[in-house]
Amino acid sequence: MEYILKNGIVYDPANEVNGEKMDVMFKDGIIVDDVSADAEVLDVTDKIVMPAGIDPHAHVAGPKLVVGRLYRPEDSRRGVTQKTKVLRSESGFSIPSCPATGYRYSRLGYGTVVEAAMPPLEAKHTHEEIATIPQIDIPAMPLFGNNWFVMEYAKDNNIEDIAAFVAAWLKLTKGYGIKIVNPCGSEAWGWGMNVHGINDKAPYFDVTSKEVVVALAKANEMLNLPHSIHIHPNDLGHPGNVPTTIETMDCVKDVKKGSKAAEIRDQVMHVCHLQFHSYTGNSWKDAASGAEEVADYINKHDHITCDIGQVTLDETTTMTADAPMEYDLFKLSGLKWANKDIECETAAGIIPCIYSAKNPVNTLQWAIGLELFLHIDDPWKVCLTTDHPNAGPFTRYPRIISWLMSNTRRMEMIENREVHKWAEKRTTLATLDREYDFYDIATISRAAPARIYGFTDKGALTPGYRADIAVYDINPNDIDPSRQYAEIEKGFNVADYTIKDGQILVKDKEIVKVKESQNVWVNVQGWEKNEEKVINNIMPFFTQYYSVKWENYPVHDHYVSNPIRIDVDGK
Amino acid sequence: MKTITFDQIKTSSIALEFDELIPDEIYSWTEADFAKYQVPIGNSRFPLTDFFEVTVEGEANGPDEVEMIINGDLNRVKYIGCKMSGGNIVCNSSVDLHVGAEMSGGSILVKGNAAAHAGREMSGGYLEIEGNTKEFTGASYIGEWRGMTGGQIVVGGNAGKQCGECLTGGKIHVKGNCDILAGIHMTKGVIEIDGDVNRWPGGQMKNGNIIIHGFLGRLLEGFVLNGIVVDPEVEGVTYEGKYIQYTGDIGLNGKGNLYLDAEANKEKLATYGELDDEYTSIREYRNL
Amino acid sequence: MTYEPPVTDYDHIVENCTCAFCGCNCDDLDYLVKDGHVVAVRHACRLGASKIMEDMDQRLIVPMIRDENGELKEVDWDTALDKAAEYIANSIRPVFYGWSETSTETMKEGVALGEYIGAVLDNQATICHGPSLQAVQNAGYPIQTLGEVQNRADMIAYSGSNAMNSHPRHMARYAVFCRGYFRQRGRFDRTVVTMDPKFSDTAKCSDKWIGFEQNGDYGFYNAIRAVLRGKELYQDVISGIPKEDIYELAEEMKNAEFGVLFFGLGLTHTLSKQRNIDIAIKMVQDLNKYSKWGLTPMRGHFNVNGFNIFMAFECGFAFGVDYCRGYPRYMMGETNTIDLLVRKEPDCFMVIAADPGAHFPNGANQHLADIPVIQIDIHWGPSTELADVVLPGSFIGVECAGTSYRMDGVPIFMKKAIDKPETCRDDEWIVRELKERVMKLREEPNTAPKYVPNPNAL
Repeated sequence: MEYILKNGIVYDPANEVNGEKMDVMFKDGIIVDDVSADAEVLDVTDKIVMPAGIDPHAHVAGPKLVVGRLYRPEDSRRGVTQKTKVLRSESGFSIPSCPATGYRYSRLGYGTVVEAAMPPLEAKHTHEEIATIPQIDIPAMPLFGNNWFVMEYAKDNNIEDIAAFVAAWLKLTKGYGIKIVNPCGSEAWGWGMNVHGINDKAPYFDVTSKEVVVALAKANEMLNLPHSIHIHPNDLGHPGNVPTTIETMDCVKDVKKGSKAAEIRDQVMHVCHLQFHSYTGNSWKDAASGAEEVADYINKHDHITCDIGQVTLDETTTMTADAPMEYDLFKLSGLKWANKDIECETAAGIIPCIYSAKNPVNTLQWAIGLELFLHIDDPWKVCLTTDHPNAGPFTRYPRIISWLMSNTRRMEMIENREVHKWAEKRTTLATLDREYDFYDIATISRAAPARIYGFTDKGALTPGYRADIAVYDINPNDIDPSRQYAEIEKGFNVADYTIKDGQILVKDKEIVKVKESQNVWVNVQGWEKNEEKVINNIMPFFTQYYSVKWENYPVHDHYVSNPIRIDVDGK
Repeated sequence: MKTITFDQIKTSSIALEFDELIPDEIYSWTEADFAKYQVPIGNSRFPLTDFFEVTVEGEANGPDEVEMIINGDLNRVKYIGCKMSGGNIVCNSSVDLHVGAEMSGGSILVKGNAAAHAGREMSGGYLEIEGNTKEFTGASYIGEWRGMTGGQIVVGGNAGKQCGECLTGGKIHVKGNCDILAGIHMTKGVIEIDGDVNRWPGGQMKNGNIIIHGFLGRLLEGFVLNGIVVDPEVEGVTYEGKYIQYTGDIGLNGKGNLYLDAEANKEKLATYGELDDEYTSIREYRNL
Repeated sequence: MTYEPPVTDYDHIVENCTCAFCGCNCDDLDYLVKDGHVVAVRHACRLGASKIMEDMDQRLIVPMIRDENGELKEVDWDTALDKAAEYIANSIRPVFYGWSETSTETMKEGVALGEYIGAVLDNQATICHGPSLQAVQNAGYPIQTLGEVQNRADMIAYSGSNAMNSHPRHMARYAVFCRGYFRQRGRFDRTVVTMDPKFSDTAKCSDKWIGFEQNGDYGFYNAIRAVLRGKELYQDVISGIPKEDIYELAEEMKNAEFGVLFFGLGLTHTLSKQRNIDIAIKMVQDLNKYSKWGLTPMRGHFNVNGFNIFMAFECGFAFGVDYCRGYPRYMMGETNTIDLLVRKEPDCFMVIAADPGAHFPNGANQHLADIPVIQIDIHWGPSTELADVVLPGSFIGVECAGTSYRMDGVPIFMKKAIDKPETCRDDEWIVRELKERVMKLREEPNTAPKYVPNPNAL
């Protein structure tokens, strides 16, 4: 099928197209230069056309999501909607059911969402959920930061074996890249402890968080993976964690990018939900924003990219592999606490969380997120996320966009006391009058995540790329985002068209078609011998101390029926 | 004022769901509208007029001016008055699940028994049940830690298990007896029980008040004896007589109050020591 | 037990098969196959082995329909499926119960059919660990995988669970006797406590037995919590346990390096039901202030946890999901099988891989006798006597492959070892066929003309 999107106003930062009125054409799922006269015309005159959104860090599928859904029926019932002829019923607000997740991303104009934490032992479960989520492509990031084998190798500084281990585990779990969560901290949680700072050692394993991070970064570059290491640093959510954050970013600055990886991405470390890692002070009583310091480091260094994890001031569910932090949260709020430790690999914690604008700490978190967006000069280094569902559900992205585009709205919230006065007193938010334009928004939600993940077929409207396109009912020449922030939020809330692989999924703000999702995984080539050696080495340990048989450990092809395999030449 | 009368023609073995037939929705409806209306039963909808004859008298400009009278056997009619914000409903029979659930205003009178979940998550209004209720009267939705936040429930008969679970406000008055774990997880509000309670009221309560005028079978270890109070005043109401006051649930650092009628629970005090003749103080504490 | 000589007469061995009995899902079984039948099972417990080996015992082989004389008559697949589809399509309040002994792949078809027709989908949790799930929903869910227990735990508590009899390999493979990375001496490195009114076989091999009185669970755990908060107990004996013992136990639990509480139906089905678990969870949360503690429900059927997990990601609710209005609803006492049956609401009942005839209370079974019952199962059982249509399925993990979730949520791909009897079909195929036939017979009820977002989610 051939289509032509006519007269849209195109924002395509990867190709430096900034609000030009032009046509976008695609054929058989691919963007093309030209179509024949038979092409179906979709009139999008004076509407915004962008590549479909890419969410670089969200939790949408996997065991901890399911624990969340299972133990929060009160959240599930919040979003219950009736089925239609096209759609299945939905449920959930902060942790939507699988069908709801796909539909809602599609309505927002998104095409790709990265599941940011997959425990290898339960990777099958993650893939079962990915197969249940419709509409979007989902790469999943296996967790390596607290893996016993990785910690042992890192202690011996055995980079080659870590690389082989990672290459093997990406194949076994059908994963996309290396995710590190609170390195050594989640292992310490196995004994009810945590690590404090990057130079603290995991109990028994006698290896510091820094050694693990550096070793994994080197292995990552050795394998030339399309994405860099993806790290959730230590000390999340603790006042005074800025030094840890900066030291974490700094420890990989001398790591050389893999020669092939350097062509498709810029960074050697992606730091996720940076907002939670930018607090100064000693306790919540005297906590303040460290956003300026953190942003300053990022502005001065090119090896770091980040996403924000913007707090949206909603009732949500926090869930992370940083289990000790979740227990700290439980001690503060006393709400129902769930925890899930996974043998030899990781842990996870879950707790409902009410972010309230009346609460000083929550307001501080809200302001720090916005500060980071505004302080980091290069939008290519920063991505739009809420760390769904940790800081808020992804359905709030349009609201965040409206905050970013409108200083008026931000000042209104501060001055009208819609938020607590800490926003003014303890952060610099009120002094920042920078406003994002549509080009910047397209960068932080499309082009930058694509570049960071090394996608070579998404995130731009380049001919030959997948036809993942979103159209929004906003006329950029006829709107003042600063004043009309409500229209901006409304416009981005539901896409006029969402096109995924050339299929029109959303038309006139209604989902008209449901498409199966696809898993995206990285297949490293050239390391087969090393992988075999590493697996043989760890086999005695595995047999004795894992509670499943090796044969039952990998994700069988049965679970990834329709994957997008990315072959990477690792040598 | 508008009076809408539902007279039952026939019963259904599968429950009818009345969540759409609340004053907020139907205040402007005429008899013709009711004749068109299809009521949900299981996975289908059937004409309401197959089951009820509806007569409408008078006019209403809002839900507050509506009185619904439902006659007949309502043991298979669920969600009566669910989510209503005003008006008045009278049920001349026992009713099924969720009567008055999530209501925020108005009043409901049930001249019979109610099934489980009566007055679940009420935030306002008045629900009176002349007969007995089953489990979870005035409770929260499963998993929700904020239950009933306002309004009042009066149960003429006995209440089932876990009455007032997660109560966060409002008042529940049970004139009969209460089964186990009344007021479990409650954080605010008042539960008053005229009759006896068999076991463990106020398990894991954080705050709020439970007043028991009858005999209490078994008390949890999480409650600490405060002493005897005379004519205690709880949220503006004075309860005459002498009451034993406990604070709990200590396992949760809770600060809830449990008042036990001293006369009816004389034996309980033996655990602590002797009560003096006047019931005004306890002579001796053991283990305290 | 008498001595049985090892089986030496077999054709080949299939290694690393997964046991389809209890929630332990042991995946290290070796099947000895001869002439297309499993003649012996290595590594399995007696429960698992006997289920797997006697796969042909009272086996349902061909589809059957109950005729007007009340006799089950053998028919062909088309006739049976059409009849079953007709029952489902004509029903107003269908209930699809079971699912715990089949694969998530089958559930996928089941939820599609259930959502299409507007049925209630429920599993055995409604009669076993449902209270645990409700408690989890109220109090939280601190769990860990079984390997974590094996490698770290130095204190194991079984409450209301007789693992020795119900999950025979649980203690050996995952929790008590096995050697773990940090517990190299196995049993000698662990303290085992059994809390149970009964002096069970598990209690016999424990270091400590806390025999609290029946129905006293809530008061007992409440007392432990109070002690953990530093309160002195005022009664000398609480729920049948001397207070000194409670102090001692609380102290021991606080001093454990890594403790795990396993609880079973003994805790879920006494007087205060879900609140027993509720307070046990709270106790575990308190204990985490002093050391590391977790808990795990001892799930019974091998995939009962799988259904809860599956439904949670499909629709947001774990069990007892009512689709009748075109959206999922979940409400205690309203959308659960037993309540519905006792209220005599359902007018069609499909039971898949379960045996309500044997497990349900009499009042519920009485109603089952009055309504059309469709059974999908592998063995003849009390439910077959109630069934109007019998559709013979196949044995997951032996005759057909599928996914199951262990009691701790670890997914396991159960592989196929032998061929199923020729006339049987895979559960997944049967349910898919039913779905397609129902779709032809009845237009989808209760669809909204247009998507309307839920105002609470905006």
